[in-house]
Amino acid sequence: MIEIKNLTKIFKKPIRKEGILGMFATLFSRKYEEITAVNDISLTIDDGEIIGYIGANGAGKSTTIKMMCGILTPTSGTVTIDGVEPYKKRRQVAQNIGVVFGQKTQLWWDIPLIESFKVFKEIYQVPDKEYKERMDFLCQLLGINEFMNQPVRTLSLGQRMRADLAAAWLHNPKILFLDEPTIGLDVLVKENIRKAIKTMNQKYSTTVILTTHDMKDIENLCSRIVMIENGKIIYDGSLSKIKESFGDIRTIYVTLNYVPQLDKLNTFDGKVTYDYRDGGLAIKFNAQQIKVESVVDYAFHTLRANDFKISEISIEDVVKSILKKQNEKS
Amino acid sequence: MRYIKLYFTCLKRAIISRLQYKADSIIGIIGFLISNTATLLSIYFIIDAIPSLNGWSIYELGFLYGFSMMPVAFDHFFSDELWNTAYWKIKNGKLDPFFLRPIPVLFQIIAEAVQPEAFGELILGGVMLGICAANVGVKWSFGLILLLVIATIFGGILITGIKIFFAAFALKFKRSGTLLQGVYNMIGYTRYPISIYPLILRTLLTCILPFAVIITMPVEAVLFSAFNPYLLSLLIIGVAGAVLVLSVLFWNWMERFYQSTGS
Repeated sequence: MIEIKNLTKIFKKPIRKEGILGMFATLFSRKYEEITAVNDISLTIDDGEIIGYIGANGAGKSTTIKMMCGILTPTSGTVTIDGVEPYKKRRQVAQNIGVVFGQKTQLWWDIPLIESFKVFKEIYQVPDKEYKERMDFLCQLLGINEFMNQPVRTLSLGQRMRADLAAAWLHNPKILFLDEPTIGLDVLVKENIRKAIKTMNQKYSTTVILTTHDMKDIENLCSRIVMIENGKIIYDGSLSKIKESFGDIRTIYVTLNYVPQLDKLNTFDGKVTYDYRDGGLAIKFNAQQIKVESVVDYAFHTLRANDFKISEISIEDVVKSILKKQNEKS
Repeated sequence: MRYIKLYFTCLKRAIISRLQYKADSIIGIIGFLISNTATLLSIYFIIDAIPSLNGWSIYELGFLYGFSMMPVAFDHFFSDELWNTAYWKIKNGKLDPFFLRPIPVLFQIIAEAVQPEAFGELILGGVMLGICAANVGVKWSFGLILLLVIATIFGGILITGIKIFFAAFALKFKRSGTLLQGVYNMIGYTRYPISIYPLILRTLLTCILPFAVIITMPVEAVLFSAFNPYLLSLLIIGVAGAVLVLSVLFWNWMERFYQSTGS
C-alpha cells in the first residue's frame, strides 16, 4: 500500500538574467525563485490497483513519481510504501518496485538484450527457477524473443519499450511505475503493451501507477484515475464518473470549401458548438445528448463537408473542463 | 561474496560492451601510444640537455616515470566511469536508474565500465621500469618487488579513493568534473623527483593528496634505499585504506543530497 500525506515539492531555481554578463551576475546572486511542482497532495493506493495518473505537461506527475520511487526528497509531507519512506531507505524499497521511464531506458545500450537481463537477474537476486519461468512468460507476452540477441541500440522504440517493461518485471515487483510507457508507439504496439500490463496485473496483482497522455491507455487499463494540475489533485475517482459528469464529448473536424457563418449554423438547441480555423470546422458535441448520426448527417448534407474526422475527448480536454468547472464554483 | 559474484557479472557485461566497438578500441590504443610517445620524447629531450635533474640520472628519471604509470593504470582499469559521473552523468539524469536498484550506487558506477587499454599502460610502464632498472643496476630483493607490487595495487586504490571523494561533489552540485580533473592532474607532478618542487607543493603531495607516498617514495626506496620496503608497504596499505574508507563514507553521505532532475 502506498500512502501519500501532504506531499509538497518546491524546486529552488536561481533567477537568471539573460546574456553572458547576466550569467556571471547569476553566479553571485542569492536570489531564488521557488517553483512548487507538487503542492500538498494526499493519496492512498491499495495493492493491486491500476492507477492512471494524468495531467498536462509540467503538472507535477513525474515529480510525484520520482518522490514515490525515492530519487527525489519531498520538501514536506511523506510518501510511505508499506510503511517505509522510499527516499530514506532507497535500497530496501528498490527491491519491491519496478520503474519504466518511457523516455529513458534502463537497459545497457551496447550489449545484446539477453545480457542485460542476466545482469538484472543478479542485481535483484532472482532464483534460477523463477527467472526461467518469468522469462518464458514475458517472452511470450511481449514477444521479445525475436530480438533477444540484438544489442539494445539496434532495437526500434517499440521493441525497446517492450524490453524495458520485461526488465522491470523480472524481479516481480509489488509496485510498478510506468511513466508514459506508450509514448511515441504505434497502435499495435500500444495494444500489445496494454494487454501485457493487464495480464501481469491480474496474474501477480502488481500495483501499477501509470502516467500517460493517451486516453485509450486509461480507458483500457485504469480502474481509477488521479488527475493533477499545477501540483494539485483536481480529481480522484473512476473514469466512468468523469465521463458521466463531463459527458462523452466528441469532436468532428470537417473541411469546407467556403467560409461558414458560425452564427447561422444549426446548434441543435445549443447542444453543438462550432469553431472555424484554417479552413476547417470543429463541431463539438456530447454524444449522450445528441446522436452522432444526426450531427454527421447535418455536416454532410447541409454543410456539404468534403472531409471528415472524428475524435473523442482527450485528456487535455478533460483537464480543461475540470478546471473550468472548479473556477465556476469558486 | 554476493558482490564479488555480481561484480564479475557486471565485468563480463562491461567487456562485452567494450568489444562492441572494435574500431573505437583500436583508435584508443593508437591515441594512447601517440600521447605517451610524445611525453617520453619530450622527457628525453629535456634530460638530454640537462643530463641530471637534482642528482637523478636519466635512467633513474625513466624508472620514476615508468613506475608512475602503474598505479595510474591500475585505477584506470577499474574506475573510469567515475569521470563520466563527475562530468555529465548526474547533470543529464543518467544516474537515476542506479538509484532505483537495490545495490549501492557507487558499486554500480565502479562496475559499469572497465578500460582494457589500461593493460597497455601497465605493460608500457613495466617495460620502461625494467629497462631503466637494468641500466641503473638496481639490486632487486623480495622486499623491493613486493613494495612495487603493493604500491601499484594500493596506489591504484588510493587514486580511486581520491577520485570517489571528488566525484562525490557532483551528487550535490551536479558536476564536479573540472575539480576532479584538477586534482587528478596533480599525479603528473610525481613523474619528476619531488625534491625539485617548493616546500608547499611537496607537503601537498605527501600529506594532503598523498600521491608522492605511493609513487615517489617506493621509487626512492628502490633506487636509493631511502626507506625500509616492508615499513613503506605497510604505510601505503594504511594510507590507501584510510583514503578509500573516508571517500566511501563521504560518498554515502553526499548521496543524501542527490536530487533527480525535474522532468
